[in-house]
Amino acid sequence: MGKLITIITFFLSFSAFAQMNFCTSELETFPTRSGGRIKPLYVLATDTIKFITGESKVEELSATEAFCKLSLKAFGMPLELPVKVRVDHVEVKKLLGINDGEHSIAVNEALAKVGLLETEIAKLKENNSYKKELNKVKQRLDAYQAIIEARLWTVPEKKGEDIEFISLGEFLTETKIAAIREKSDNPVNYLFAEAKENFLKAKGDDYLLELRYYKMNLFMWAMLTTILAIFLLVAMKIKWPGAILVAATIALEITAVTIRVMISGRGPVTNMYETVMFAGLGALVIGCIITLYRKEVAFVIAGLCFNILTLMMMKFANGMLDEGISPLVPVLRDNFWLSTHVTTVILSYAALALSWLIANGLMIRDRFFKVSSAEYRYGVDLIYSCIKFGVVLLAAGIILGGVWADYSWGRFWGWDPKETWSLIVLMVYIAILHGKSTSWIPPQRFVPLVAGAFMTVMMAWFGVNYILASGLHSYGFSEGGAVFLGSFFAIQIAVLILGTVKRKTA
Amino acid sequence: MDTIIHYYRKIEQFFGNLKFAVVIITLFAIFLGYGTFMESYHGTEYANRLVYKSIIFMGIQFCMFLSIFFATMIRLPPRKHLYGFYVIHAGLIILFLGSFITYQSGIDGSLTLAPNQASRQIQLSEDEFKIQFPAKGKEVTIDLPFSAGPKDLNIEYEGIKLKTFLPFSKNEMSWIPVKIQDETQTTSRYRIFNDNFGEFITLSLHPKSDFNNTLQLGPLNVHYMPSNLSACFVSNTPDGLIIWNGESSECISPQPAGIKKKKHTNGKIIAEVDFLGQKILFMPEMSPLPLDAKFELNEKSPFRVFSKKLFEKNPHLFLFGKHVAFYNKSTSLWEGHPVEIDQQVALPWMGFKVRLLEHKADAYATMTPTYVKPIQENSQVIEGNMKALEVEIEGENFWVTSMEPSAYNQADERIRFEIGKKIITLPYELVLDQFKMDTDPGTSTPASFESYVTLFKGNKGSSKHHIFMNNPLKHENFTFYQASYFQTQAGPYGSVLSVNFDPGRPWKYLGSLLLVLGSIWHYFLRRKHLAKPGAKNG
Repeated sequence: MGKLITIITFFLSFSAFAQMNFCTSELETFPTRSGGRIKPLYVLATDTIKFITGESKVEELSATEAFCKLSLKAFGMPLELPVKVRVDHVEVKKLLGINDGEHSIAVNEALAKVGLLETEIAKLKENNSYKKELNKVKQRLDAYQAIIEARLWTVPEKKGEDIEFISLGEFLTETKIAAIREKSDNPVNYLFAEAKENFLKAKGDDYLLELRYYKMNLFMWAMLTTILAIFLLVAMKIKWPGAILVAATIALEITAVTIRVMISGRGPVTNMYETVMFAGLGALVIGCIITLYRKEVAFVIAGLCFNILTLMMMKFANGMLDEGISPLVPVLRDNFWLSTHVTTVILSYAALALSWLIANGLMIRDRFFKVSSAEYRYGVDLIYSCIKFGVVLLAAGIILGGVWADYSWGRFWGWDPKETWSLIVLMVYIAILHGKSTSWIPPQRFVPLVAGAFMTVMMAWFGVNYILASGLHSYGFSEGGAVFLGSFFAIQIAVLILGTVKRKTA
Repeated sequence: MDTIIHYYRKIEQFFGNLKFAVVIITLFAIFLGYGTFMESYHGTEYANRLVYKSIIFMGIQFCMFLSIFFATMIRLPPRKHLYGFYVIHAGLIILFLGSFITYQSGIDGSLTLAPNQASRQIQLSEDEFKIQFPAKGKEVTIDLPFSAGPKDLNIEYEGIKLKTFLPFSKNEMSWIPVKIQDETQTTSRYRIFNDNFGEFITLSLHPKSDFNNTLQLGPLNVHYMPSNLSACFVSNTPDGLIIWNGESSECISPQPAGIKKKKHTNGKIIAEVDFLGQKILFMPEMSPLPLDAKFELNEKSPFRVFSKKLFEKNPHLFLFGKHVAFYNKSTSLWEGHPVEIDQQVALPWMGFKVRLLEHKADAYATMTPTYVKPIQENSQVIEGNMKALEVEIEGENFWVTSMEPSAYNQADERIRFEIGKKIITLPYELVLDQFKMDTDPGTSTPASFESYVTLFKGNKGSSKHHIFMNNPLKHENFTFYQASYFQTQAGPYGSVLSVNFDPGRPWKYLGSLLLVLGSIWHYFLRRKHLAKPGAKNG
């Protein structure tokens, strides 16, 4: 108690100073450890504030400033920030008394209803989307509680020659402050500067690469160059400036992926965010390769279109794709197999995505505009080129997965849903390719079949994780991934119906 | 000969046809998709039994093999532009053969290693039924079918009939009729609930029932007693004493005037009560047992003495079939309430109520295995993970489950039954010296599992090995992989290794390599493309 009073007294007496000078953007570079990794405070603060509120800021305060000020509440700082907890599910909103049209609740109001949340969670036996959202809101409140109790922010402390991370609550002790007050008028800043300096001496500043990665926002720049490239190549039909922008997009994305690999120390395909990122880049690169090989710009345009779709997903589908870098589960910690098997499969999906875009484009053009028989056959040949890449890469990827599984677990094949669905994708495309040589699949059927077949890719890529892995009990289609996938299927089926019914054949 | 060739050509034409390939590949893909949904809903084992290892799916795979084989044969002698095609199909045929060899001769099991204990037994995934005759030192094992649904076995061995096998089951309550009704051996079902919580409970006094007569629901203790004891619990006497005859289930709750007290030579109080004309002596401060003529505790006596005061401090609910009794702290009185079927009584704790659902004296409730499709949630099978086999001996039917072994006394012999996994024994043994689990810094998330083991090879000595993820131990054609771990009751961790012997492996690798190389050859070499309409040739 005495300790608390001393620190409170200290903070109260310097509250104006502390509020103005301590919680500043300078803290963004401060090293902290969370989720098993050392990272800049900026990353921890932004991830946590985003998780709790769905926003990167708390009113005018940056995430780092807000995170810092909230952490100081543990020491009695009389701070009230207007933190609002994100709530998406309609039923959960009803339970917490949130009005229609609103998506958040004031944190203090939510904390007062924790008992209600817990009772509701305990009552529900089925782990449906409602229960999952209840748990998520509870986790958001727990995260907030961990911040204001100074548990979430860990600070490096020198222990002999080594550096250990302790919570802010343990770090900012009465003894330390009293000892430093004799040396400095500003003991808190002094302590933090010393902790950072000790850390930098012992471990270096490699962790700051992550801050640079986030600050550079390379994927936003890539989005801009992609849009401009599409405009130049499609609307203006200017090839060389378009090609330069394509090269710039590829360079930006390769830089971003490389930095991410350097931060995580592993292949860039370990979670859904990274596979989407890699697939977009892969589609563009494959599009360029086939363009060079076939002298046909349609592949690059398809690559750019798929790239922009993936970049938009990365930017806007936060509920479904987690941008954070987390440690891998033990079984995946093999860089060789991870980098070969997963990347091959994702590249195959990227190649199949090109066939999907060209097929849909051809189908819609044929439905609304006049496409000659020769043009249609040429379009089919372009689609075929993409499928060839996709099928060979997918077969190789599946086999590499089998070899990895055999090497690591002793089973070449285990009927795991992810591997089974990748085999389904292969079988579906192989069936289409076989059928193409029979009277069953003439060009007019080949195009819609290829457009529809990409739904199996989406099922293998997203459906296994967002629908099958969560169990069919929670088949609510109200969670991010399931909603996305359901919408995709609905739109694709609508396009297929539109493209095949009363089609104008040339 | 011509006829044979004629029929061979017909078979070749049928299976080697592209349309047959399209049909069989599509069918294969549909089955795979169905399997993944079954796996998600019902778990891996159910999906394996229903789809992936079913006869029909094997048949589809065999048809695929025929399609690939005859599609190749039909295109012989070799043509240059089909070289890639031949390599792909040869790769697939070799891949199929490799998989078949694995299916026929491979071993895929697990080895559980407790800390510092030797183990050489590999547990396989197939189930077997063991019948043991300990007196004769004899054991018989019968393979259980790998079916997804119930299967009638109709196997008989020395008068023991094996009837229905349930690969997935759960215990469900059923009522077994009794010949003679006995009010002291009743069974009742209740629901105890408030606005936030509800629980169905079954309590029984019948000796053959699987249900007890007491249970605990959080802080609430529930006791089920014969109905004629209810009056004793309702009466409010200063001592709160109840004297109960366990044989007749009669009781009295004597008023102070009915209790004669005197001091024993040891200074303790001896009380004497009149129990329906019979004098009972006891020491209420010392024991629930009555005293005999020599003032010693009489363990053989059917009488028991206790004070209701024991049940006043914490919540205790007494259920007597159609009566309910409890101590109400707010009134400091014992309360009794009659309750009929589908009626409820309010309890004095947190708004709880008790509702009587069923009450029977002519039947007792017991748990019987019933087939269910298993249910998976968060990668765990939460329902239906019990296997059961119905056995008949001497006209009596009973169930043996995978939860625990059962025994039956036949004449002078005790027969033991058990459902378990097939076991194979290695000619060497492994000892777990240490299991190590590292976590990601500052978290409890596992970062690696590692087993330090000693391999004892009999006369050939021993060797130390370090097994961890992506680093298996290979010994005499067997490969040991780090798979899982468990914590022993004593505290240290044990390790589970996945054990594999795969004679089809080289063929699968060769087939895979040919498949990929053939695909590249077929799709990318010697291919012609259509020229863009309107573009100049060349």
